[in-house]
Amino acid sequence: MSGIDELIQRQKLLVAIGPGGVGKTTVSAAIALRAAQLGLRTLVLTIDPAKRLADALGLTHLDDRIREVPVEDLGAEHGVEIPGTLHAAMFDNAASMDSLMARVAPDEETRDKVLRNRVYRAMAGTLSRSHAYLAMERLYEVMSSGEYDLVILDTPPARNALDILDAPSRLATFLDEGVVKWFVGQGKGKGRSGGWRARLMASSGAAATKLFQVIVGKDLADETIAFFEAFYGMREGFRERASAIQSILRAEDTSFALVSSADATHMMDAQALAQGVRSRGVDIDVVIYNRSYERLAHDAPLAIITDPGKLDRAAALERMFHGELDHLDREQIRDLLEGLRVVRTEAANANHRALEAVRKLGSDLPESALQLIIARLDGDIRDLPGLLALGPYLAETRRI
Amino acid sequence: MGWVTQASVTVTATSPALLDRRLLMFTGKGGVGKTTVVAATAVEAARRGRRPLIVELGHRASMEGLFANRSIAYEPSQVTDGVWAMNLDFESALADYFEQHIPVKRVARTIMRNKTLQKFFQAAPSVAEVATLNKLSALEAEREGGKPRWDPILVDLDATGHALMLLNVPEVMTGLIGDGPMRRLIDGFSSLLADPRRTVLSLVTLPRELPAQETFELYQKLREHHKVALGALFINQVPERPLTPGQAGLLDRVQSRAKRANIGPLVDEVTLARRAMRYQANARAQINRLRRAITMPIVELPLITSRELDPEAIASLGRSAIEQLEDRSAEDANTSHARRMRR
Repeated sequence: MSGIDELIQRQKLLVAIGPGGVGKTTVSAAIALRAAQLGLRTLVLTIDPAKRLADALGLTHLDDRIREVPVEDLGAEHGVEIPGTLHAAMFDNAASMDSLMARVAPDEETRDKVLRNRVYRAMAGTLSRSHAYLAMERLYEVMSSGEYDLVILDTPPARNALDILDAPSRLATFLDEGVVKWFVGQGKGKGRSGGWRARLMASSGAAATKLFQVIVGKDLADETIAFFEAFYGMREGFRERASAIQSILRAEDTSFALVSSADATHMMDAQALAQGVRSRGVDIDVVIYNRSYERLAHDAPLAIITDPGKLDRAAALERMFHGELDHLDREQIRDLLEGLRVVRTEAANANHRALEAVRKLGSDLPESALQLIIARLDGDIRDLPGLLALGPYLAETRRI
Repeated sequence: MGWVTQASVTVTATSPALLDRRLLMFTGKGGVGKTTVVAATAVEAARRGRRPLIVELGHRASMEGLFANRSIAYEPSQVTDGVWAMNLDFESALADYFEQHIPVKRVARTIMRNKTLQKFFQAAPSVAEVATLNKLSALEAEREGGKPRWDPILVDLDATGHALMLLNVPEVMTGLIGDGPMRRLIDGFSSLLADPRRTVLSLVTLPRELPAQETFELYQKLREHHKVALGALFINQVPERPLTPGQAGLLDRVQSRAKRANIGPLVDEVTLARRAMRYQANARAQINRLRRAITMPIVELPLITSRELDPEAIASLGRSAIEQLEDRSAEDANTSHARRMRR
């Protein structure tokens, strides 16, 4: 058992975080496919609004239902056995938000109040911040269904990924302890009869409300307050979910996977992300560097070759053509061999830089963290055979 | 997804040059090198004697990394010769907003110190966007000795979603806000964002299939739903030809000979070179698609292979970018001149 295989057989949840543009969704899907190859019932969840997973998995529907990805053909055509199953789902932001409200609301009246609220409508459609809440909510649902041996959660890029860790408790605390109390229930007698403390609360609440009205205008203020009022009725539901989700994220059988490239700008974001995750008391168990090196030897695609080597080009030319070339031909071939030397040298240098970058980030990670490095493969991966091709790289344990 | 060619709007020769706009906004998917493009454009603006200010929305480690790890805070600071930068974080923008709109400073400060109230404003819809736009307008309005203090202001938008959210604010708020100070403020933003002489939104992408596709979709969305003027499309990390056409023409011959003579390393090199040529050809194909489908001036920036982007590399990227735009508008001027002559 090597590379990522041991980890995915041991864990129930893998949270993939990383900078944008590194192929996080593709890597998540490839890991999921690998898990299915190992016989696991696997689900990959993506909240990347670009629907790239859909491209990779041939899912064309834009709703958020969980679908089984047909993998039989893959077995037949590529000689690969896939004893497990692969499922995939993505998010439709507004629809997910609505169904979340419906699930959390204690009664229909509260639900309708929220769903009709114009502030809510504006927020549900436009706020990217809500992605994190929704991801967590969806995660909670599938983790408690018990239908999957392994769930892989693909998160929004970079810094936002930290919202994953912060979002659930933020909303719950906000509803529970926050100033929402100041704003809600005014003029309805609530909180007015409970002694000096409640009276103070009520009067500062009135002041806060007025202030808010001055700042954003009366209409928006009233609508916002109505929104929070309705939301307030859901606080129990949110709090329960938040603590359940927090314990899932911090469970022994949950791992965080950092996906990056070895490119300088991505590495800076990856490093910041690794530090952010660590400061929240969570370890990164595996780093996957996607599209990070060039394969220099065709019989050893997994080797990361950093030495361009020495080839006696004059001798090679003789061995290939045995002096049968005229002068012009010879000059042209020599010119090509020189061009090829440059291509090889540049590739080897790029590999060297990539390994340096990997070592640098590695020194910031726990010693037990796996480091997996994937070669640059041709084109963007958009189908299952493409995902399958990542398998050997995911299974390769690197000593760096 | 269809790539429909639209040619209804063309950039006219009379539209002001990119650097002459007041507010240059840049957006694009994460990882396309947006930060590099913003930094390079700012460095070039400074070289031309302007006083550019880079505004980061949301902190990214990569911007500091490009400027020798100078820390970038809310207060603008000089990060390299003539280039200023700031991080427009939400809390500080909100504090500014309160200072302006709450007459009693003490009250404003008390509010900002209150953690729970801060959380409230963070969760309230659109407040972050309004505070951000408020600060951007304030920066735009800053004057020093009768001249704008910042020339131009380059805004590095966090991600495409963020850009759309900001552009949507006036629309989202229209139905929600009655008359009042906020209304006037938002009307002010609308006219700033919709004024093509002052504000322009540029896109950054990579010459790869998925980023290019997403850019095209974003472009369509912007064209259909937003009034903001579009600036340039920057295509970053465009690979160079690994071999000349003459060299490439001999590859087959060398490959078969190398195989016959059993020179493994050379066979590998041919494979490597072919792969590099495929990367380059794919990139070219994506660029051509973008050129056909998007009627924005297009800037191609080379792939830089050095370990870290050094200051010279950034400066030369910026120079190349702006010069490409100038060449293009010179060409446009010539064509429209020629057209007039023919009439």
